[in-house]
Amino acid sequence: MIFNFKINRMKKTILSMALLLAGGLVFAQKKTTTSAIINFDATTSLDALPKAENKTVIALLDTKTGKLAFEATVQGFNFENPKIQEHFNGKGWMDSEQFPTSTFSGTIINLTKVNFTKDGIYNVEVAGYLTMHGVKKPVETKAIISVKGTAITASSNFSIKLADYGVNGAAIAAGKVSKEPKINVSAVF
Amino acid sequence: MTTRNKFVNAKKWLIGLLIILLAATAVIWYLFTLKHDDTKDLKAVYSVEAVPFLKEFETDMSQANKKYAEKVIVVNGIISELEMADTTANIKMSDTTNGAYIIFAFQNQHVEETKNLKLGDKVSVKGIFSNAAYSAILETNYVTINRSAINK
Repeated sequence: MIFNFKINRMKKTILSMALLLAGGLVFAQKKTTTSAIINFDATTSLDALPKAENKTVIALLDTKTGKLAFEATVQGFNFENPKIQEHFNGKGWMDSEQFPTSTFSGTIINLTKVNFTKDGIYNVEVAGYLTMHGVKKPVETKAIISVKGTAITASSNFSIKLADYGVNGAAIAAGKVSKEPKINVSAVF
Repeated sequence: MTTRNKFVNAKKWLIGLLIILLAATAVIWYLFTLKHDDTKDLKAVYSVEAVPFLKEFETDMSQANKKYAEKVIVVNGIISELEMADTTANIKMSDTTNGAYIIFAFQNQHVEETKNLKLGDKVSVKGIFSNAAYSAILETNYVTINRSAINK
């Protein structure tokens, strides 16, 4: 009788530990992906070519603290037109040899609005620092957090002023590249 | 100069101008409609094994980045991760000793080739070397290969 009771208690303890471990794995607070996507659109009425996509962006979301971070290699942006890609990486534009990566590090300000354990679409505010072309600037933008089962998607649309980051090429002055390109970021964790 | 000679000269100038205009239009048209080559049709400059390739960046990242910059490269290795979405496909090969990885982003016309791949498959992938960097988020080195296609 006592022996059976001990066995049952041991079983319960093991089961509880297993559930805790599984829960910890499912709801691990730091989530990362290496396949986040950034779309960059600097097209103007004079030129429809300067738009690109980077599909190998590293992203982090900490569901406990709201930390959100991205790392993108400049050379990872693919343009349909190879000549535009060459110009984009050149000294007159992003100078990818000297400044190989662009990063964002920030936090979700209104994290309490998001319930990561309940399916839904949550509108949030994100604030942080964007470092591009060797210049670090504060950025604030709206973002959407979508929760579906264990998948969390973070996405945002915003624009930046290239001049703020010291990007002033001849093509920008000539109106062939937008002075304020639109950027779309999307990460599935 | 007679009127006839003047007319012949003007005609020559006009024809010359027309040829220059046509040539300029052709060059602009060529540049604007230029597309990346299909990676499958390109000849590889280097053929490497995944883990020793990653070790080259561990030894001297700057030197290795210069060596492979924009080169067509074939990498042979084992798939450690598959990251698929509707229109994109990335596969990874990793060095299990330190977490360093190579990520291959597939060229649009070759995304379909990745659909039957599985973790642990030994594959040969051809792509364009983009660059290698250190990730502060993941605390490891990574190499990006763009416009990839399955080599065989």
